[in-house]
Formats: sequence, structure tokens, C-alpha cells
Amino acid sequence: MKIRQRIAEELSDAFPGLQTETPGEGRLLVLAGKDSVIAVLGYLKRRGYNHLALISCVDWMEEGEFELVYILSAYPRGEGGAAAREELSILVKTRISRKRPDAATAIPVFANAEPLEREIHELFGIVFAGHPRLTPLFLEREYPIPPFRKDFDTRQYVKDFFDKIPEVQQE
Amino acid sequence: MRELELYFGPQHLGMVGNFSITLKVEGDRIREAAANPGYLHRGFEKLMEYRTWIQNFPLVCRINVVEPDHMELVYAMAVEKLTGIEVPERAQYIRSIFLELSRVASHLFGLWAYANMLGFDTVAQWAMYHRDLVLDLFEELTGGRVYHIFIWPGGVRRDFPEGFQERIVNTLHSIGGCVPDYDHTFFNNRLFSKRAKGIGKVTREEAMEMGATGQVLRAAGMKYDIRKVEPYAAYHQVPWEVPTRKAGDAYSRIRVVRDEMIESVHMIFKLLDKMPEGKVYNRAPNPFKWKVPAGEAYVRCESSRGELGLYLVSDSGDKPYRAHFRTPSYPHGLVLLEKILRGASLADVGNIMISLYVTPPEIDR
Repeated sequence: MKIRQRIAEELSDAFPGLQTETPGEGRLLVLAGKDSVIAVLGYLKRRGYNHLALISCVDWMEEGEFELVYILSAYPRGEGGAAAREELSILVKTRISRKRPDAATAIPVFANAEPLEREIHELFGIVFAGHPRLTPLFLEREYPIPPFRKDFDTRQYVKDFFDKIPEVQQE
Repeated sequence: MRELELYFGPQHLGMVGNFSITLKVEGDRIREAAANPGYLHRGFEKLMEYRTWIQNFPLVCRINVVEPDHMELVYAMAVEKLTGIEVPERAQYIRSIFLELSRVASHLFGLWAYANMLGFDTVAQWAMYHRDLVLDLFEELTGGRVYHIFIWPGGVRRDFPEGFQERIVNTLHSIGGCVPDYDHTFFNNRLFSKRAKGIGKVTREEAMEMGATGQVLRAAGMKYDIRKVEPYAAYHQVPWEVPTRKAGDAYSRIRVVRDEMIESVHMIFKLLDKMPEGKVYNRAPNPFKWKVPAGEAYVRCESSRGELGLYLVSDSGDKPYRAHFRTPSYPHGLVLLEKILRGASLADVGNIMISLYVTPPEIDR
């Protein structure tokens, strides 16, 4: 049996109601609930998927939801070449409401989640409960809505914001 | 002793590019360090949502100045994955050769930064000159020296010109002929090893905990390279080794970089020997009417700094719905750097930062 099918079955046993998909070669998709996602990440880490490559966020504005995507893969155990386990990337996804955008932090499971969650907080306005420093990471000024949300129009903002700056008067 | 707060960068000789670190120091020991990125945040991922699939190529290569080609590659691979466009075999070889040349150029740039920071000006000048020789090859092949826009969905833009293979070999021989000089003046120099050995030590466990990849991991003894783990382009077609070291300090990291450059050159020779004939691209749809099927893809490659990934989402429109780059400098510069600077000497900050191979543009994006 292929490793990703085995992982998918193990996950369904451990977390009833969890959905899994196999979108393409070397990828496994796990659709977790908002409350169970950190437990799923912890389970996968103990199972050997101990490398959190990325946390991404997609704004599905028309559906009124944000989607958080945690991408995991495995560091090799020994000195040898790549094993089947290491070729697999697991995408764990969870949906949260756009009206109350809050999620639990993944830092207790993966220490390198810290700046990734800070970035999502800044660019999408999602509050991660338990995060020790949700301070701005990249941006230098306040925005009316977090700038990576779909309802933030970059071009309109540039026009509104920078056109207001008065021209220098020539004497 | 009184605790002071110091700002290291963005204007500082030991700092590569637009990045700063806020240090809390007591005497010349660092108590705490906070990375402060954002000086180069251009919002590329948002800008990509406003441009068509093909218009994004001139954007993605500009995310990281030092290695634009790997950025092009991940974007092209993600689009290929979403659309199912196949890449001809000759194009896979050309991609690998091109990317390895780019890795050598990027490592030489890295060597320039490192040597320059430590005061080895001669070595820095050599590295810059040798990088320029590789850029000459890029110019001949693509018309651009730094940004190439050469790799795109379905293959590469054009085939090697007449006699280009010999010119690659000649250039690499003339750079390779200087390796003994580099070793003598830099890598085996006691001035260098005294300053780099034992500095910025990262154990294998710490590196894994912090999400490190690339040289940081390989210098701590782990053979982790995406080119081996999940081969793309033509990397599975020829035998090659992943250089590693055990100590995990700045010295081992820069030695791994050196060994990797040599391995890349050998790999290019092997790929050139084995390269098949054939076409170099499969035609992609009309770029003005191109709609990519709805779906998502996560692709990854080994850039010269570690694991470079791209999470790309399409909603069956003519533009990407969301793009998010996983860049290797992100965990190195924002997590690992803060940790290993704690307790270090003030004089070693630049040394540690450059040995981690952090490039600020790819953190900010």
C-alpha cells in the first residue's frame, strides 16, 4: 500500500470525520476542522512529518471564509537516500469564518510557525490565539483593511493614498 | 553591566541588503536579538493577482535578485502542474544546466558577500569577476544578465546557440582552475578558519526544529536536498553527491557552499554529455486568452539557499487567485538567526548572518 493511503487511513481512524484527498503524485490533502487542526498537525509531526514548510492563507471572499493551509513534509531519518516518506507533502487545510477570523497558534507544535502566523495576521487580519508577538512584520503604515484580503484593491489604494499628497509649490 | 539597545542595519557594513536586527547587548555579548524585515516588501504576491499567467514571469524573477531562475522555475512548474503541460526531455536538461549555472553564480555572489564582510577583499573581487563570466553566458543565451525570463510553462524559451556547450565548458574550466587559489587564500586560510570555526553553531535537532533547509541543514550533517528527495528537471538522470559536513558552524556552512559549487560544475559536464536532441518547448495556449483550470499546486525545488516552494491557487481565471512563496531565507533569517545570535559576540553578527545565507528580498517578497 502506498504511504499516502496509509497515512490517510491512519488519520481517519484517529480523527473521525476528517476528510482526505489525493490530488496528485506525492501530495496528500487533509481537510480538518478549525478545532482539530492543531491536533492533526501534532499527530503528523509524531508520525514523522516534522518539517513545516509553509503556512498560507487564501481569502475565499464570496464564500465568506479564509482557508489556512499548513504544508508539511518529512526530514530524512538516516544518512541514506530519499525514502518514500520524504517525497510526500501533506497539505492540511482548515476554514475559518471571515467575520470572526481567529485561529489557534501552531507554535507549540512547530516553532517556525511564529513569523508565518505573524505575517498572516498582518496581511489578512487573522488573530492567532496564544501567539506571543502579533506585532507588524513587514508593513510600515496602517491600512483600512488588511492588504492581502480580496476586498483590498491595491490600485485604488495607490490612487487614493498617493494622489492626496500635495505638490511642492514653486516659488 | 548596563544593557544597551543597538540597531544593526539596514545601513551597516556587515549587513547584506535591506534588513536590520535590533540587538540588546551587555558589553559585547548579545542578550537578545529581534529580526526586523520589511525594508523590501513589495507585495509581489498581491501584485501577481492582478496580472495574467504569462505577465507574472517578469515579476517572479525579481523576488530574489540573487537567484531569479529558481523563482521562474517554481512558478513555471506550478503552472505546468495546474494545466498539465508536458516539458520535452531536452528542455528538462537545459533547465538543469541553466539552474546549476545559476547556482554557481549565486554561490559566487554569496562568497563575495562573505569574503567582503570578513575583509578578504581579494577573494571577494575574484568571486565577483567569476560570477560575471557566468553572467556572460546568461547574456548570450537569454539576452539578460541578471533577470532572464528563460524558463516558462512547457519548457525553455530557446535552444542553446551554436557552440554554446563548448563555451559553458570553457568558462567553467577557467573558474575551476582558480579553485586552488581560492582554497589557498580563503578556505584553508587560518585567518578565515579562526573567525568562522565554532561561530553560529546549529545542531541538527535545532535546525530541524526551526524549519531550516539547504546548507544550514547539510552543514549539520543531514543529507536533505529537494533535487534528491523530489527530483525535477533532469536531476535524476545523472549521478551526483550531496556534500555534507558535521560541525554545523559558519565554517562548515561555507565549506558546504564551496563543495556544492564544485559538485554543480561536475553535474553540468555530465548533463551536457547526456543531453538528448529534440525540441525545447511545447506550445502553451495563447497568453491573451489563457485560462488555467481551477485547482491548487504546491511545488518545491532546491534553490541555492534551500527549499524554495510555491503554493499556487487558480479559480479557473486568467490570473492567479493566490500565490505564496516558501523561501529558504524566511526561517533562517526570522527564526534561526534570532536564536543563535543570543549569547554571541557583537563582532560576529555579520559573520553569523551571512553564513546563514540570508537574502532579505526573498524574506519580504
